[in-house]
Amino acid sequence: MFTLQILANGVVLGCLYACIAVGFSLVWGVLNVINLMHGSFIVLGSYLAWGAYNALGLSPWASLAIAAPLFYALGYLVQRGVLNRVIAAPVLVTLTLTFGLDLILNNAMLLGFKADYRKLLLDPPLGSVAWGSVVVPVDRIIAMLLALALTAILYVILRKSRIGRAIIAVRLDRDAARLMGVNVATTYAAAFGLGAAMAGCAGVLLALIFPISPLSATPYLGKAFVVCVLGGLGSVPGAVLGGLILGLVESFGAFAFGPEHAVTLSFALLILFLIFRPQGLLGKRGFE
Amino acid sequence: MRITSLFARGAVSPLSKFLLSAAVAATPVAFGSAALAQETIRFGAPLPLTGALAPEALKQQQGYDLWAEQVNKAGGIDVGGKKMKVEIVYTDYQSNTPRAVQAAEQLITQEKVNFLFSPFGSGAAKAASTVSERYKVPTIASTASSSQVYDQGYKYLFGTFTPNDTLTTPLTELVVKQAPDVKRVAILARNDLFPLAIAQEMEKSAKQNGLEVVSFERYAINTMDHSSALAQIKSQNPHWIFATGYINDLVLLRKQIDDQRIEAQVVTMIAGPAYQEFIDAAGAGAENISSAAWWHPAVRYEGVDIFKTADNYVELFRAKYNATPDYAQASSSISGDLFRLAIEKAGSLDRDKVRDELAKMDVVTFWGPVRFGPTGQINSLEPPVFQIQGAKAIVVHPPEIKQGELRLGVK
Repeated sequence: MFTLQILANGVVLGCLYACIAVGFSLVWGVLNVINLMHGSFIVLGSYLAWGAYNALGLSPWASLAIAAPLFYALGYLVQRGVLNRVIAAPVLVTLTLTFGLDLILNNAMLLGFKADYRKLLLDPPLGSVAWGSVVVPVDRIIAMLLALALTAILYVILRKSRIGRAIIAVRLDRDAARLMGVNVATTYAAAFGLGAAMAGCAGVLLALIFPISPLSATPYLGKAFVVCVLGGLGSVPGAVLGGLILGLVESFGAFAFGPEHAVTLSFALLILFLIFRPQGLLGKRGFE
Repeated sequence: MRITSLFARGAVSPLSKFLLSAAVAATPVAFGSAALAQETIRFGAPLPLTGALAPEALKQQQGYDLWAEQVNKAGGIDVGGKKMKVEIVYTDYQSNTPRAVQAAEQLITQEKVNFLFSPFGSGAAKAASTVSERYKVPTIASTASSSQVYDQGYKYLFGTFTPNDTLTTPLTELVVKQAPDVKRVAILARNDLFPLAIAQEMEKSAKQNGLEVVSFERYAINTMDHSSALAQIKSQNPHWIFATGYINDLVLLRKQIDDQRIEAQVVTMIAGPAYQEFIDAAGAGAENISSAAWWHPAVRYEGVDIFKTADNYVELFRAKYNATPDYAQASSSISGDLFRLAIEKAGSLDRDKVRDELAKMDVVTFWGPVRFGPTGQINSLEPPVFQIQGAKAIVVHPPEIKQGELRLGVK
């Protein structure tokens, strides 16, 4: 029974990690841009949910509908206006650029919201459900289901829609895609927009679970990195799988070796993957 | 200025460094007459104004600034009949302890400060105390609790925090007295200097009071999930959960304790609940969480210091910073005023006389009763144990200032 509880904790946590990482993975995989602003986008999404709930009484589910287009637009503009100018440069250039943009965004949030930790407290609280002795908090279940749903929607967009096919085409071969009449600049902006929208929505969901502060941006980014390496870059199912593995490893690792080793263990796993399977579980070789 | 920049670039050999600092050490004597003519009293404060510890430095700075402002508003410090204004000279040591020592030395030798405040925390305060001892500059550490800081036989170092065990022992005794059926304690500590030290003291206090420590686990800095650790704690069925960490850890932990439907007679958290931010972020979950700190706005002492009472201090602090002070800011403010009291008693800025007055000090302040032990660390203070009741922190110990009784049961 105890193992079941640890398993449940791991699966739920894994889905939250997937939710954190999927947008980051998309942007890295398609654009070859390591978006260091990703963590700050998530935090900004959390503030949106927090502010909308406390000031306007909007539920986080309603905020989700606001966050998606808003963050899409934000991402689209950042890519169109700034990143596209250096997109052909080596990855270090875009990395430095997003690093700088993140410094600006994160410090702006520190100025605007202060470093105080805040929490979105629903009234009444959602509580938790129990099956036998296995207890799972409702907010995590909802966040998990919505994260999976968002990821599925993203998957469908990439597979079925015109822009999604264009994103995949550009990812496979930028020049060939251009010759086929794909507008590469717009496609990049759309991909970055989708990544930002996923980050914003993740932030809204995570506002229910984690304390909110600009200082949380770095831990989110760290988790996104690990999940991407485990799951494989640019692969939506890969992000889910990577998240699940990370969640399970941390849960069982904390149980077996003590909580102080949970993080050590996940980074040890990261190193092993980098050595033996750098493309990740579902990534394609030569894509990193 | 030139000397430090030479040091920084490593352009000077160790021997000439020694000679240079010897020369610098001699300077105040040579220009002693200039010091006599000064109009303000200069206090040096090396602080980690940038880097990882910046939030802590900001708190100390707020505390010192508020004190200086109040003293100057009242005309200054009475030095043998002459009113002198005070000035705080800050240097940034960038959260880098070796640089804190350099910064302290620079304040003494180049900025010619009369007195010194220690850098932040036990480690840096201990490192810098060597410098102030060498130059015989009375120094007050406002944020150093470890007794190892004070056991070096130094004469010029004083500290306003009692040792860590003074936080855990009264709390344990109180719980044992009020809830004799509390037997099993589970401890969960952030693997970090102060949170771990407090947890270790708790383990000792628990054992001394006949409690069984059923688990002692550490979690890593930046842990985003405590569910496994809590599932284990739940399976051990403790009566008392004792968790340490900073506010983000404790807010998350409190929520996850609730998520996992863990109930205990007593849940104690250090150091988050001392801040209003915790009560806001934990919401209903904050109810009945107990904690301890060196000071809390709820303490009630009638002081002879410039702030007189905690209420007055909180009011002045709110007016200046639009926030509620916690023990870090209060300790910095009282450290300043202990200097004022000692200087006025000594009637002079003579460092040795002021040092002797500090050593003899026996006063009640808004911070609490202040007497320094033979090591220089305060030994008169009984840090308050408090509990969140009705979204407010209520002091439940010591008896002289308590506002309510410890309530059992945290759901």
